[in-house]
Amino acid sequence: MDGTDIKTAFFIAYKTITKGHKSTIALIIFILSLSFFNLMFVSGFLYGFSDGVMKSMIDNSTAHIIVMPQEEPTVKSFVYDQDRVRAEIETIPGIVGTARHYQLQGTLAYDKEKDGNFKYVSAQIIGVTQAEEKEILTVNEYMVAGIFPDNLKDDEIVLGANLSGGFDTKQTKDLGGATVGNKVQITYANGITRTYTIVGIFKLSMVGSIASAAFISTSEAENLLSTYNSASEIMVRVNLEKNTLDEYTKKIKGIVPNLELEKYTSRLSTVGILVTAFNLIAVIVSFISIIVSAITIFVMIYVNAVSKRRQIGILKAIGIKEGIIELSYIIQSIFYSALGIIGGLLVIFLMVVPLMTIRPIAMPYGDAVLVYTTLGIIINISSLIVAGILAGYIPAKIVAREDILKSIWG
Amino acid sequence: MIMIKVKNLVKTYPGEVPTLALRGVSFEIAEGEFVALMGRSGSGKSTLLHQLGLLDMPTNGSIMLNKFDVLSLTDSERTKFRLQHLGYVFQEYALIAEFTALENVSFPAMASGDNNAKDRAEHLLDLVGLKERMRHYPNEMSGGEQQRVAIARSLINNPKVLFADEPTANLDTVSSEIIFKLFQKLNKELKQTILVVTHEPEDKKYVDRVIWLKDGLIENEE
Repeated sequence: MDGTDIKTAFFIAYKTITKGHKSTIALIIFILSLSFFNLMFVSGFLYGFSDGVMKSMIDNSTAHIIVMPQEEPTVKSFVYDQDRVRAEIETIPGIVGTARHYQLQGTLAYDKEKDGNFKYVSAQIIGVTQAEEKEILTVNEYMVAGIFPDNLKDDEIVLGANLSGGFDTKQTKDLGGATVGNKVQITYANGITRTYTIVGIFKLSMVGSIASAAFISTSEAENLLSTYNSASEIMVRVNLEKNTLDEYTKKIKGIVPNLELEKYTSRLSTVGILVTAFNLIAVIVSFISIIVSAITIFVMIYVNAVSKRRQIGILKAIGIKEGIIELSYIIQSIFYSALGIIGGLLVIFLMVVPLMTIRPIAMPYGDAVLVYTTLGIIINISSLIVAGILAGYIPAKIVAREDILKSIWG
Repeated sequence: MIMIKVKNLVKTYPGEVPTLALRGVSFEIAEGEFVALMGRSGSGKSTLLHQLGLLDMPTNGSIMLNKFDVLSLTDSERTKFRLQHLGYVFQEYALIAEFTALENVSFPAMASGDNNAKDRAEHLLDLVGLKERMRHYPNEMSGGEQQRVAIARSLINNPKVLFADEPTANLDTVSSEIIFKLFQKLNKELKQTILVVTHEPEDKKYVDRVIWLKDGLIENEE
């Protein structure tokens, strides 16, 4: 096939499109736009959900890497000398920041009506220094009542809305509507009981215990746990544009070989299974969308080619190669696919993405927005173009192979 | 010089009872001759023309066109041969509905890589008396005009032979006369070799020679 053949094929395609029925062409492009929209929306939504869950996990709960106490050769309760450990970790290029948590378990009691009828809820209690914490985690951005002070006093507490109750949460076990200024009592696993004043309530629509957790000050946690300058966990936030998670993990391990490291992905637990399942569903749905689009193009090109059997027969009779005729149909299907893609992209990026950014769809594990990567978009576009080429080529090949006289006279 | 040499051409259509459409046809046509193939319906005229125009393959025999053994060519070589050496006019015009008259005529030349396709197409449309209609689409033209466009198209690549399969079958008397006079003009002025299938006895007056077919065999020549 030479330049003249390609020019001839383009000419046939151009004339067929420009002299074709405008309403039929508009319908073809509309259907392909819908197919591409479907492909983009479903994959964007499912990846958006997965991305949202993981982002929420990183931003509000775990950061990227969690440094935990030594397990081998002997099990230790804390990461000791935490200020030195964190300072060393922070020397690694690309580390954004670190923060430490003390993890405690306790039962909260709240007497809403002050009539001696307490509601009890077991919860995770985390000792934090918010001045450090807010550099790497964003819980303070989700306050629905009060504040998250940089330095909590030892008798102050910040609760998750899932724990306090109220604020449109729908938990089966909560304190029934404890709010800022109220006092709650906590009985810790070691038997110590303390009373705290609620100074802030945050609300996270995400999975994991953090949405139902309570925050106390570092010094209070150290008093309760009888330790100092330690940590149950050190959260490490990294810049993933500079290095991969595995590379950061390897470098941290080099600095603190005896401590245990976990990536945020291993904390996803049931959500992780859900994310994996959603990603798999996104791949399957994308594949099905591509197949549906390909079949749509196939049917349309086949009907088009069959209705133009006589024209194809005439072209062959005057000496036009089958390859040129096939290429002209491939060009037509690429044209339809390209316009379908443009139509789908315009709807997605000019209407749906802005709309869902303003009004994200609330999901049980976080707000779902449409998320696209350049590579993902290129893959979707390429898939539809390739599907269009195949779906245009096959029917054109079937019809172009027909006997000349049969094509012309039927 | 012999332009068409057909020897013992046989065409059988397969089926439960195979149909023998050509039973061993042999004849020659010289360069610049204007010949008519005549005979009753079912005599094998169109079948013979389809074999000569390389639109169909005979069951047996040989065809030499301009000294080429065209039956030995591959499919793609035959397609190229049709484009570059043959002109074919169909009974029902067979124009591309999406192309204007000018595009219909220039298209085979464009497909051959001719950069002057448009100029030559304009000249040919002038020759067939349709210069004013070249921007019109087939559905905006009469049957006679469409057939003249088809003739202009068949001439665009300077074919060695022009085949016409009952080109006036769908036309009125006046249009038929115009078409045959046009063939005559092409034959006289351009020395174009023409083989035309017709069933009208009065068309004999335009041609140099008539080959009569009957039941798939040449009955006689006059």
